[in-house]
Parts: sequence; C-alpha cells; structure tokens
Amino acid sequence: MYETSDIKNGLKVEVDGQPYIVTYFQFVKPGKGTAFTRTKLKGLLSGNTLDRTFRTGEKLAPADIEEHEMQYLYDEGDARVFMNTDTYDQINIENKVLGDDAQWLQDEMMVKVLFWRGSPINIDLPNFVELEIVYCEPGVKGNTAQGATKTAELAGGASVQVPLFVDQGETIKIDTRTGQYVERVR
Amino acid sequence: MLAAMRSWFAGHGYLEVPTPAIVASGALEPQLFTLEAGGGVLRTSPEFALKRAFASGLPRIYEIGPCFRGREHGTWHRQEFLMCEWYRAGAGLFDLMTDVESLIDHCRRALGESSPLAWTKIKVRQAFLSATGIDIATATASDLADTGEDWDTAFFRRWVEDVEPTFVAPTFLYDWPASQAALATVRTDGPMPIAERFEVFLNGYELANAFHEEGNTATIRSRWEDYNSQRAASGEPPHPIDETFLSAIGKMPRGSGIALGVDRLVAALCGWESIHRGWVGTPSV
Repeated sequence: MYETSDIKNGLKVEVDGQPYIVTYFQFVKPGKGTAFTRTKLKGLLSGNTLDRTFRTGEKLAPADIEEHEMQYLYDEGDARVFMNTDTYDQINIENKVLGDDAQWLQDEMMVKVLFWRGSPINIDLPNFVELEIVYCEPGVKGNTAQGATKTAELAGGASVQVPLFVDQGETIKIDTRTGQYVERVR
Repeated sequence: MLAAMRSWFAGHGYLEVPTPAIVASGALEPQLFTLEAGGGVLRTSPEFALKRAFASGLPRIYEIGPCFRGREHGTWHRQEFLMCEWYRAGAGLFDLMTDVESLIDHCRRALGESSPLAWTKIKVRQAFLSATGIDIATATASDLADTGEDWDTAFFRRWVEDVEPTFVAPTFLYDWPASQAALATVRTDGPMPIAERFEVFLNGYELANAFHEEGNTATIRSRWEDYNSQRAASGEPPHPIDETFLSAIGKMPRGSGIALGVDRLVAALCGWESIHRGWVGTPSV
C-alpha cells in the first residue's frame, strides 16, 4: 500500500476498483486540523478526471499496472496483434480497446502497452507518424490560400484535413495526440 | 518586507521580544509535530515564551523568527519557516483584524501598491453553509462526509475539498467550532459552541491564526491533557506539559494574539506560486 507521502505525479493507484494515474497533488493542512493531500486522478480506462482528497494516514492501493515495449505486427480484423520483442510473446488487442489509436498503427511500429491486471488497456503511440495519402482531390498548383483544406484518406484508414496543395500518393506527418496534419514529408 | 513589518510594529507601540528557538515542548494541538534539538525541541511557534512575556506586564509585544514543524512539506509548507506573532492587551478579535489590515496595507505600500485590500469578514458557519449547504451547528460527522471519520476530520475534509477553495478574496473567518479552540476562549451563548478565533485567508490560502486568549489555567491544562490523549490514541508521544507556561496563563491580561506566516505573506504580496521561491535553504533539508 502507498502512504499519502508517496503521492506524486505519475503514481498509479486503484480507487473504487478502477486504475488511475495521479496528474496533480497538493499537501494542505488546515490551521487546527489534520493534514490532507488534494489530488487529481486520471482514469486509465475511462480517461475521466477525478478529484480526490486523502487524509494523512489513509492508505492508497497500488494499481496492478505493467508497461511493456511492444511491436505492432498485423491486423486481424477485430483485433491487432503485437509482439513483446524481449520474450517474443504475441498478444491481441481488440480494436474497441485501441479506439482511434488503431488508425495510426504501422507495421513494425514500437508502442508502449499498458496492462491492468494482466490485460492490455491502452497503448502509447509515438507522437508523430508518417502515412501515405491513398486518396484525395487533386492538388491545385500554386494554391497556398491560408486555412483552406480538403479531406485526405490515409493508409491505415484515417481521414485528415490537409492543405489544398497536398497530393494523392504523397506522405504526410500526423500528430497522433491531436490527429492533425503537420507537414508534407519529401 | 521585514523592515516594513518592523516599522509598522514600532509605529503601533509594539515591542520586539526575541525568545528561544529551542524549547521544552511543542504546541498543544495534536496535528503539530516537533523536531528534536539540543535536549529539547525546536519551537512550533513562539507562543509559550511570548505569553510569558505578555503575562510579565508588556501590553504590546511581537516577535519575527524561525519556527519548525515536522511532517509538513508542500507548496505552502516547509519544516522551517518564518513566523510573525504578536499580542495586544485589551484587544478583541476585531481589533486584531484591524491590525492585520493595517499591517498588510503598510507592507503593500512598501512594495509600491498604494490601494488598500478589500476584506471580507465571515463566520465559519456561514462560509460552510454557502459552500456546501450544510449547517455545521446541527450536522453530524456523516452529514459532513460519508468516510466514517470523526466530526473534526470530516469537517476539515469538506473544508479542504469544498469550502477553502471559495476564499478567493482576502477573507477573515471567525467563530470556529469549539472543538478546534486550542488556546482560544469558548463561547456557548449561540446556536453552537464556538471558539473565539479567526483565520486570515489571502490568495486562497491561510495566512494567519488569531485567538482571543483563554486566561484560565485549569481550562488550558485540561485541553492539553485531552490533546495528549488524542496523540496517544494515534500512537504519537505526548507533548510534555510546560508548567512554567501554564503558571503564566492566569497572569496574562485579557487580550488577543495572532501568528502570521511571513513566507506566505511575502509570496502573496509578490504573486509567487509557492513559499520556496525566496528560500535559500538546501532542497534536501
């Protein structure tokens, strides 16, 4: 068990049967009262933020979380297959667990996989990926109008808004945290 | 800032009285932890020594000096900090509120801010009711929080979670629950027994605590024994009863006293995000 003095950003704890990560904490002590630690917790399953205050002396349960560096292998329809490059163990992660992250996966990409109670619950993608445009309307030469965009379909299935001068067959850089176009890759 | 504080005290007839940092015992309150030093402990505040000086016939006294509290680390806490404490004979709590307003405005002028701060004065019961809808005069511990904690702990849990964050403006909070009296007088003529003390909030955190001083030795002895049994119940050693201090209690003039965190005042007036910015100590200590 953790003590309130162990609380720091990044600590993973179990609250009400769910895993959370500490994203903010502050020691507070009323003048004539017992001390508390205010926290903000982010749900590792839900993504929701929870405000919790722990009294000094209260114990916090560690969340049963493990993290492994894994390589993306292939698409199996409902799930994606990853391999632990140390042990060569392979696991399937269902698309519904991956959510929007699935669309940025590329063969042999290394990702961090988060396991809770032995099951994968989340992956940590590289911040940027480079993907080919498989379809978009033809580019208009010389059109650099600020802000004007069109939809481009990418290898992997994602659609993003790109500037008008970008063409089908080109490779572009995407920020996976925002899902937005960054630049053309030559 | 220290020069500005000292000039305010000099201008208002207060005598600076230095008292020892190494003392026989820490404060009564069971939430305070001492650090050992030189056969005694480092003072958690200059309260006992200053009250002896107060009882000796000095009607207006103050001290600015380092105080020490174990197990307190955070944005607004450090085990060693600077305290400013003063006592004024014949003063009630509202007189000390006026002192606080005047002292802080004086410090602000020293920093080039000429406009006085606008203060709110509110009873703890009213502030709690506004923030939570709960009347502490009638609430049970489980009305305050469903955590199974005792009344005062449940009170402070809700205080920390819901009430304290509402003090954005400079605020005096007065009339606290009697169970949190420490060395203050208690009044029982209202809807709930209250301790005659106030706390000062500036920039959203507590800056100072004031007591209308209890002058009955037996009352203070019995509170000290009660607080020591609370310590024992949570497996902590007692704070030895300081008989020299107790013998001075009955000789004090009626009056009020207040302790103000200097590091916090400086941080508030300079707009700093913690008390550590101006500190030159070693981070590991």
